[in-house]
Amino acid sequence: MTTTDDRPTTTSPSRSAAPGAKGRRPWGRPALYTGYGQDMALLNTGAKKAALGVLMVLALLLPFVLEDDLLRLLATGAVLAIGAIGLNLVTGYAGQVSLGHAFFLGIGAYTAAVVSGETGDEDLYGFGITFLPVWLLAGGAMAALVGLVVSPLASRLRGLYLAIVTLGLVFLGEHVFREWDAVTGGVGVGRPAADPVLFGVDLSRSTASFSADQQLYLLMTGLLVLFALLGRNIARSAIGRSFAAVRDRDIAAEVTGVDVRKAKRLAFVISGFYAGCAGALLYSISGYLDPSSFGLLVSVQFVAMVLIGGVATISGSIMGAYFIAILPRLTRELPEYLPFLSSSATEFPNVFQVETLLYGLLIVAFLIFEPRGLFGVWVRARNYWKSWPFSY
Amino acid sequence: MTATLDTTTQGTTSIVTRVRDRARQTPTGVAMRSKQLGLWRETSWAQYWDDVQDVAHALMALGVDRGDRVAIQSENRREWLAADLGTVAAGAVTVGLYPTNPAAEVVHVLADSGAVVLVAEDQEQLDKALEVADRTPALRHLVYLEHRGIRGRYTDPRLLHWDDFLALGREHRAAHPDAVDRSLAATAPGDLMTLIYTSGTTGLPKGAMLSVANAEATIASFTGDGGLLDPPAGPKDLTLSYLPLCHVAERIFTTWNNAATGIQVNFAESIDTVPENLREIQPTFFFAVPRIWEKLLATVQVRQASASPLKRNVGNAGLALARRVGETLVRTGGTHTLGSRVQHALAWVLVVRALRDRLGLRRVRWAGCGAAPVATDVLQFFMGLGVPVHEVYGMTENTASATANRPGRIRLGTVGEPHDSVELRIAEGTGEVLTRGPATFLGYWQRPDATAEAVDAEGWLHTGDVGVLEDGRLRITDRMKDILITAGGKNIAPSEIENAVKVSPLIKEAVVIGDRRPYLVALIGIEPDTVSDWAQRHKISFTTYRDLTEKPEVVALVQEQVDKVNATLASVEQIKAFRLLPKLLDHEDGELTATQKVRRSALAERFGPLVEGMYVGAAATRGAAR
Repeated sequence: MTTTDDRPTTTSPSRSAAPGAKGRRPWGRPALYTGYGQDMALLNTGAKKAALGVLMVLALLLPFVLEDDLLRLLATGAVLAIGAIGLNLVTGYAGQVSLGHAFFLGIGAYTAAVVSGETGDEDLYGFGITFLPVWLLAGGAMAALVGLVVSPLASRLRGLYLAIVTLGLVFLGEHVFREWDAVTGGVGVGRPAADPVLFGVDLSRSTASFSADQQLYLLMTGLLVLFALLGRNIARSAIGRSFAAVRDRDIAAEVTGVDVRKAKRLAFVISGFYAGCAGALLYSISGYLDPSSFGLLVSVQFVAMVLIGGVATISGSIMGAYFIAILPRLTRELPEYLPFLSSSATEFPNVFQVETLLYGLLIVAFLIFEPRGLFGVWVRARNYWKSWPFSY
Repeated sequence: MTATLDTTTQGTTSIVTRVRDRARQTPTGVAMRSKQLGLWRETSWAQYWDDVQDVAHALMALGVDRGDRVAIQSENRREWLAADLGTVAAGAVTVGLYPTNPAAEVVHVLADSGAVVLVAEDQEQLDKALEVADRTPALRHLVYLEHRGIRGRYTDPRLLHWDDFLALGREHRAAHPDAVDRSLAATAPGDLMTLIYTSGTTGLPKGAMLSVANAEATIASFTGDGGLLDPPAGPKDLTLSYLPLCHVAERIFTTWNNAATGIQVNFAESIDTVPENLREIQPTFFFAVPRIWEKLLATVQVRQASASPLKRNVGNAGLALARRVGETLVRTGGTHTLGSRVQHALAWVLVVRALRDRLGLRRVRWAGCGAAPVATDVLQFFMGLGVPVHEVYGMTENTASATANRPGRIRLGTVGEPHDSVELRIAEGTGEVLTRGPATFLGYWQRPDATAEAVDAEGWLHTGDVGVLEDGRLRITDRMKDILITAGGKNIAPSEIENAVKVSPLIKEAVVIGDRRPYLVALIGIEPDTVSDWAQRHKISFTTYRDLTEKPEVVALVQEQVDKVNATLASVEQIKAFRLLPKLLDHEDGELTATQKVRRSALAERFGPLVEGMYVGAAATRGAAR
């Protein structure tokens, strides 16, 4: 080719400047968007920035204010929140109902336990790598792999059928965990969970300056921030939008160019990764895990977190997880006010029954009265003030 | 800047040289924004100036000579401004048409002005011009901005797409790089710059000739020292452009103000989206016609009434405080007293801050009202919210600069003090307002007879408005030709009565009739949005607008407002009977002008039987029709 472009290199003046990712906007006009980046930004309003800052400071101050047992509860809540975000990504965002979350949790927990377990024990596998990031990622990766294997089910089935099939996973998992003694230690025996060791410091043991619970709280809360940020970024990026498109109508999504099978596969892989990491972390708090702890009730609890917190919201998942984590603690207090309730599991009626009942009742109540969950309550409160002084 | 460029900056200052200088000083600054696909896209000064030059060159390439007319019919958008300034840069004359002008009016303006080029926005506007093309022989080129429905379907050789038009300009620019500079250097202050057609409430529109110096005089009185605003508007201010640009008021507040002060112009998507756009832009400088202020007030009242009890009660308490602030400010002319400051702070917390945010008036530094008479109650409401609305007065013939209320010296009911460069006096005997000054127009286009009627030998412009001076401030009574003389011989200014009736959010139009009649009657048009909302809340079912106007409850509602107004008037000024207009008045049907002013003669003709009905049997003192 010998042609040369000798036209003057002027920009086409009939078009406005293409908006940059951020654009520039005049001060004090939050509704004036000059770039799509402003609309999609993680913290797209000043109020969100301020609120996040306050929350972070509070979270950092809490370990120096609260009792150790409460801190442990909050650490558990943080881990549950990671798992709930995972379930919300597949069920809330991508609309693929999964009752098999307990199964992925178990895979993560055992993978991590094996990776960090002691070497040399003939009856119990172990590789002796206690460095936290390694076993955490291994647990997540293994669960993600299983998610990948399971995901073709989702591209064949939807709705109720998918729910039943994922329910089947839980039973499969329970059986394997019970029988594979070399990994799980067997029913009634169990095995030690992964040790949260970071740079040679075992965080589950108190050090000179911090108690074990303070360390675990800070660790888990820090990880939750990381995972939540990751989750928000997945949700607001092209992947998250393809999830939502698949959820709202898979055929329409396909027509508009979304690869439905890829989206579903990705949803299960990501969700599996989150569940695996949550499983690995959850039992490193208590330090011990039993093969019977990955039953249907765990799956139901996670569904409850998502529904109570708010479907298809990251912050809702976190609210729901903390709510479910604190719920047992609250029901334990009930006998003081309701003398007919017993705190012993062998008597009737007891607080454990109330707790189980509450999960069901809360799911029913939220679905009927506030389908968007705790997040919906927040949105409603926010909108009430936002529309001031009118009603709409 | 090199020395060679600086030699070209000599010559007459005009809006074009102002834009050129701004583009050189702040090439990347924001000149304007328009909304596309949800984003406010910016146009920098450099791009604006580039567009202006391309248009000027394109017009030269099309053989447009100095003094030729170029017509523009489009909604407000950046191409309007570029076409306008490009035309002036080429030494030609801009003629604006209202996008709502029907073909019958388009042909009059195009034929009367003898425009050689028309810039039409889209297929809708183009069709109007093509429909009457055989009666506009001078029209040689039609440039369209949006090709949808045109490209590939229209074969008229005179058609040219905007992009091709600009490409033509760039070609010419490459061949004659200094043509625009030479044209600007040849511009004299007295050169005709634009023809602005009057709205024509009484006859065919006449083209008022405005010169470069007229525009500069207006710019000086609006933006100079002691102008409208202190500190003056600048590149950090924002304004919303939504009124028709072919009207002198919006031309001043959008195009000229932008060129003179660097204020950022934001184009509303359409007249219907003004409330949303206002909220997004939160302008610091906002001019509106009375109709818009009335509508904003009606929005507040209707939304307030349908709010939940807590919000309603707190809101009412806040607005009651705001009302008292308004009363104080009206007394002091817009300066706070200690008491009003405290009340304002309280009202601010309760409701005013949120309300202003919702209305898009949160950051307004200067608000203006003009182009038609307005009821003082409306302005007082906004004053109470801390948005002092400055009424300004002017007309096309004096480039809209006659008088204005100044910040801190507002007197409601008056249109303020004359601008520094304007001489103003009241004619003895008739009471007509006369103005004289550098902003007085050159005359009507090809109508020396009409020009001689408007401007007398001493250079006084006869405005046609009747007014009085109160300590240096002008109060307009009415249009001279609208003054009614009842059969009893009493002179009555109908617009004051009409505006008092229109204060109600339920009433959109009111036309008082009674010239050479025994008593006054009125034709009243209801506001469909608010009245249908009221009907729904009172469980009154209705089908159409006409059906709504025939409901006895609605008639009774209007009667209430009329009674309220009557109570404040002397007996001869009272409205003794009224009828509701069975349809919404419309520009297309010739009942309104393009600026939404009522054509009284058309109305009296069309609704003659309704009017006569009110004079049959003097016992008909109540308006309940049928």
